[in-house]
Amino acid sequence: MLSIAREILRFRGLLLTLVGRELKARYRGSVLGFFWSLVNPTLLAAVYSFVFGFVFVPRQAAGTDPYALFLITGLFPWIWLSTSLLEGALSLVANAGLIRKAVFPAALLPIVAVFSNLVHFLLALPVLAVALVVGRALGHPVGGWSALLLPLVIVLELPLVGGLALGLAALNVHFKDVKDILTNLLTLLFFMTPVIYPLAAVTFRPLWWVVRLNPFTPFTLAYQQLLFFHVVPDATLWLQMAIGAALGWVIGASLFARLSDTLVEAV
Amino acid sequence: MSVAAAPAAIVVENLAKRYRRAVPGYQLRTLKSALLDRSLVRDLAPGETITALDGVSFEVGRGEAFGLIGGNGSGKSTLLKVVAGILKPTSGRVAVSGRISALIELGAGFHPEISGRENVFINAAVLGLERAEVARRFDSIVEFAGLGDFIDEPVKNYSSGMYVRLGFAVAVHTDPDVLLVDEVLAVGDEAFAHKCLRRIEEHLGRGGTLLFVSHSLSLVEELCDRVLWLERGTPRLQGPPRRVIDAYRLAVAEEEGREHQAAREAGSAGEAGPSEALRWGSGEAEILRVRLLDGAGEERYHLQSGEAATIEITARAPRALDDFVFGVAIATPRGEMVWGTNTDLAGFAPRRFAGEATVRVRCPALRLAAGEYQLDVAVHARNGAPYDYRRRLLALTVTEPRPGVGTYSPEHRWESEGELDWEPPRE
Repeated sequence: MLSIAREILRFRGLLLTLVGRELKARYRGSVLGFFWSLVNPTLLAAVYSFVFGFVFVPRQAAGTDPYALFLITGLFPWIWLSTSLLEGALSLVANAGLIRKAVFPAALLPIVAVFSNLVHFLLALPVLAVALVVGRALGHPVGGWSALLLPLVIVLELPLVGGLALGLAALNVHFKDVKDILTNLLTLLFFMTPVIYPLAAVTFRPLWWVVRLNPFTPFTLAYQQLLFFHVVPDATLWLQMAIGAALGWVIGASLFARLSDTLVEAV
Repeated sequence: MSVAAAPAAIVVENLAKRYRRAVPGYQLRTLKSALLDRSLVRDLAPGETITALDGVSFEVGRGEAFGLIGGNGSGKSTLLKVVAGILKPTSGRVAVSGRISALIELGAGFHPEISGRENVFINAAVLGLERAEVARRFDSIVEFAGLGDFIDEPVKNYSSGMYVRLGFAVAVHTDPDVLLVDEVLAVGDEAFAHKCLRRIEEHLGRGGTLLFVSHSLSLVEELCDRVLWLERGTPRLQGPPRRVIDAYRLAVAEEEGREHQAAREAGSAGEAGPSEALRWGSGEAEILRVRLLDGAGEERYHLQSGEAATIEITARAPRALDDFVFGVAIATPRGEMVWGTNTDLAGFAPRRFAGEATVRVRCPALRLAAGEYQLDVAVHARNGAPYDYRRRLLALTVTEPRPGVGTYSPEHRWESEGELDWEPPRE
């Protein structure tokens, strides 16, 4: 696991080049390319805001006012996570030519997916910032200085996302249905994470534990506390994030390392 | 070069590589079924395997050029990929010291959708070069590849020659310590091939190491200091290029000769049509057997030009004959006669031939040019009336270390004097 981390670090220049290429490829040929990375999350946020802000108004959603703001503080990071895992899982198969015929550090490819999606997430942050400023101007106590801790949460989440992307990518080389399973799993996980509802809204105790033990929950809670509730997460939450990050990396990277010997032949 | 003194650049020890056999249906293996059957561990463990390499050991010293030869499927490319680190060895050890640059397959490592320029940076970064370093060498890379404005086109629009040129240009401009080159040079045109060879020689001159795979035996011979011949994944012979390549050529030619012969025998045993044209005569004498022997009396289908050769004819006359001539002729596959002679022309006056007899014609040095030849043999009367005339009875392959053209290759050597300078061929 450490050797994979070292390899990624050693090729950081290449990582940067590849991420840049990925972004350029996405934005090439469309003037509005950059805006598309904002439109998608914003549209998704609009849909959820409409459904849960006006159609099914949750009874237990106390303290999530304005709901649209609460929603996007958890939703934008979630989109980073889910697209990273999906693209990361496919990255080895998509670049089969690169790793089968040339000396190429295969571990970089899932990480490229994680970082290029991180850039999309970061590009969407101004939208979030504007929304928070508007919310504050309207008299809601959102945002504030606690938001400055945001980079720390992102850095802590990187090993979790990166590790899982590595593991999934290696699995996807050997089993062709990983993508389909992952798509469904991510949908399930999305509803198991307090993104569209506050954790307090889960009143059925066993279910509350399921949501609370979900490794992505601490991160979502941290984003919401920093950006929406104007609260600095307590030590327990930081610890939970650190444990989640370590576990995600260890499990994912060791799965990748375990399968890496046969990767080139199977891809 | 003192291989013993300097530490080796490439060490391969008792290397084996086994691929997992693609069991029918394996590709359809899904994670779902693996989880449901609780066979995840089993599915990921190697099952039935194919051995691509076995028991391969060699060392290549710094500044040395090492060639790999062998037929298709002999494991040359797999070996190159294992040395490059693309494939992991199943067992054994591979150690390479210094920076490796590998040119394994056409366009390998290139992204078709993006421009040549960006690909150069990515490719060079994979090879371990800093971005600034690449930028500094960029112009010289583009110039070497001769791509001009094409460098900003997506690589998918490149011709195969352009792929190779760019790939080679990047590979040699990264100053590798070890250069691995597979077949790819065959794709470029003559001029570029020469440019590459010069560059490889420069690389060797600087103390760089080369591992070279090619079907072009003359190129291997020209370039390499030592050669390893692989056969079905196992080493067959290792040593100086001339010796290994000659042994390899011989084996290939023997194999071809046997196939030729088998095809011929199958043909003449079959329908009467074509085989009749290959054999005619009154039957007053019958050719039983014809063999081509080398100086040591061994049967051969392949000869080096200039080697001793004997054509041996065994024939039978059911009733006594007092008029008989034995003749042989060598022809090209297109039927052009190269040489023919018979006992009458040689001045033998026949007296009596009854029962079985063997006649041999010995050539101390058969100086045919490299190529394929066929042997005609006949027993006939002095007036030419055939008793048994057999055409294309034997196929024969002749090789030469440095073949000329035509059918005759006299013993010769080149000399010169005056205002002229060249590099004589390396022996």
